[in-house]
Amino acid sequence: MGLAIEAFGLTKRFGSFTAVDHVDLSVKEGEIFGLLGPNGAGKSTLVRMLTTLMRPTEGTAKVGGYDIVNQADEVRKIIGLVAEKLILYPRLNAVENLMFFGRLYGMGGEELRRKVDELIEMVRLERFKHFPIGGYSSGMRQRLNVVRALLHDPKILFLDEPTAMLDPQSIRFVRDLIKDLRKGGRTIILTTHIMDEAEELSDRVAIIDHGRILVVDTPEGLKARFGVSNLLEVFLELTGRDLRDRAENRVPIRAIGRV
Amino acid sequence: MIRTGARRAIYVTMVMAHKDLLDFWKAKMLVVSFTLFPIVMMAMFGYMFPSITSTNLYAGKFPSQYGRLPIGIVDEDGSRISEGIADQFAQLSSTTGLFSVRSFASLEVAKDKMTEGKLKGVLVIPRGFSEALSSNRQATLILIADDTNPQLASSIIGQVSSLIRIISEGVAASRISDIAAGADPEALLEPISLEREPFVKGSATTFQFLAPGFMALTVTMGTLSGLAASISREREQGTLDGIMSSPVPRYAVIASKLLAQTARGMLQSFIILAISMLFFGVRVYGNPLLMVLTMFLAVLSFSGIGIIITSIAGEQETAMTSLMLINMPMTFLSNVVFPIEQLPWFLQAIGKSLPLYYSADALRKIIVLNAQMHHIAPDLIVLVLYSLATLSAAIPIFVRSVSR
Repeated sequence: MGLAIEAFGLTKRFGSFTAVDHVDLSVKEGEIFGLLGPNGAGKSTLVRMLTTLMRPTEGTAKVGGYDIVNQADEVRKIIGLVAEKLILYPRLNAVENLMFFGRLYGMGGEELRRKVDELIEMVRLERFKHFPIGGYSSGMRQRLNVVRALLHDPKILFLDEPTAMLDPQSIRFVRDLIKDLRKGGRTIILTTHIMDEAEELSDRVAIIDHGRILVVDTPEGLKARFGVSNLLEVFLELTGRDLRDRAENRVPIRAIGRV
Repeated sequence: MIRTGARRAIYVTMVMAHKDLLDFWKAKMLVVSFTLFPIVMMAMFGYMFPSITSTNLYAGKFPSQYGRLPIGIVDEDGSRISEGIADQFAQLSSTTGLFSVRSFASLEVAKDKMTEGKLKGVLVIPRGFSEALSSNRQATLILIADDTNPQLASSIIGQVSSLIRIISEGVAASRISDIAAGADPEALLEPISLEREPFVKGSATTFQFLAPGFMALTVTMGTLSGLAASISREREQGTLDGIMSSPVPRYAVIASKLLAQTARGMLQSFIILAISMLFFGVRVYGNPLLMVLTMFLAVLSFSGIGIIITSIAGEQETAMTSLMLINMPMTFLSNVVFPIEQLPWFLQAIGKSLPLYYSADALRKIIVLNAQMHHIAPDLIVLVLYSLATLSAAIPIFVRSVSR
């Protein structure tokens, strides 16, 4: 099995603040790779660099074999992104939203229409597909947001907190969806704060803090290594138990961008 | 099927512009306000400047922005002659529609009415007026205008003077006829006269000056703020990440925003033109295609500045506030609302350094004077140079701002 993602010394600095600090990373094809870390640890910045939304200050990375700086367009063709914020237009309905994003990937005509119907059916929104999504519940919106990223059948999917703020039913639905997506051989990078989600879904996890990767292993391997029964204990052991919003830990938002 | 190269760039530009317009169309309240804005603006300005036309300004001697101002007349002389003068003044005021005249028994009563705000001026025929006239001396009338509003007072003084001049000329003409029978009193009173030949076809109203300026202003300001709002909103709501993580050329993102906002700006401009033509007598003498080209260049010339500000500002409120810094002075300095010649030299210099000055100028020449390409070429060259300079700086700044 080849590597879907390789990063070598990937670094991002905002002025004097280092958000991602010389990260080396390998993600195998077809695995679900969990990226865990406290707020401000550097997870989203790392994802933004790997999805070509942000240029690294130092280091290189390949996604699907393509360089994220020099072959950014090739990378963009094979990745799908579910970011922290919804990538959907609230005034447009489900069909209009999906048709728009499909066209950005060069899809069109009957092929796109069929794909849109299929995805809407997959997330059980057929009855609501002609309503503006601004009127949807958070769960409905997030289900649509996840399948939006699947329109062009990406080889590598980045999911940034896909179940945040959802009700238990929607969380279960999205987690089952993620498991189904892996069955097709797709590589998934899952960023989450929810430890049992990471444990349930990930083949391997990386714990990141202060811009550095502290550890990479399977959830079972990590629990065994630290002699604890769940991933949360491993996480707290590595990143500390103190709150992260103390004044000395806070960096002005402007200085760190979206970390 | 993934299209390649330029064809794909054009295709995705159209797709994104279509999405922006669809998104706009779905916001019904926004569409209503957007359509009403030019209607309200033009109606407001149209009725503010209804009667100043270049024709009556030169020929009729009665330029007025104000209708039938209340003026009092006090006849202290109380003679047959002074009564005749007062009657003539009242009659002329009525026929020209300048004043509504009321007589008062004393100056004190009239002044009281002025203090109450019920009169805007008082014309006094002082004692000894008729005696001076009868003994071939110059007789004097006294005008007291309400100068709590200097602009209004100055207008009243000008208009009353015009009416008194007519009355005075009448008196002079009758005297000349008495002295030199058979002579032409008009030739003796005004041996040299000035006749005006119109340069602009038809009757050139102030509105004909305003409408092209407002079209240029609306299309520029609408596009500028629309562009800033649209880019910032997409960034804030997160949808820009969806676009930027797809294989879409970066310049196509900007081009699509420009296209959608230009289409909106042009729609507003044409509403302005339609209202101006339907209700305020503006006629288009020039080539509509040249008009569209000028409006397109007007938008392009300022879009670079809009993109730079939006990119640096980061979020919507800052971007919109920063744009106000440009929009407000631009409105008053660019020969849109009033002639730039009224301004001190340094403000004129600033006005002439803004592209809106050139787009308003070109549009005015096309609409009013039927100017051809060679007449407006200097204006268009400035707009093209502005567009090239600002857009070539804006595109890398935008790309950097969304990938920082």
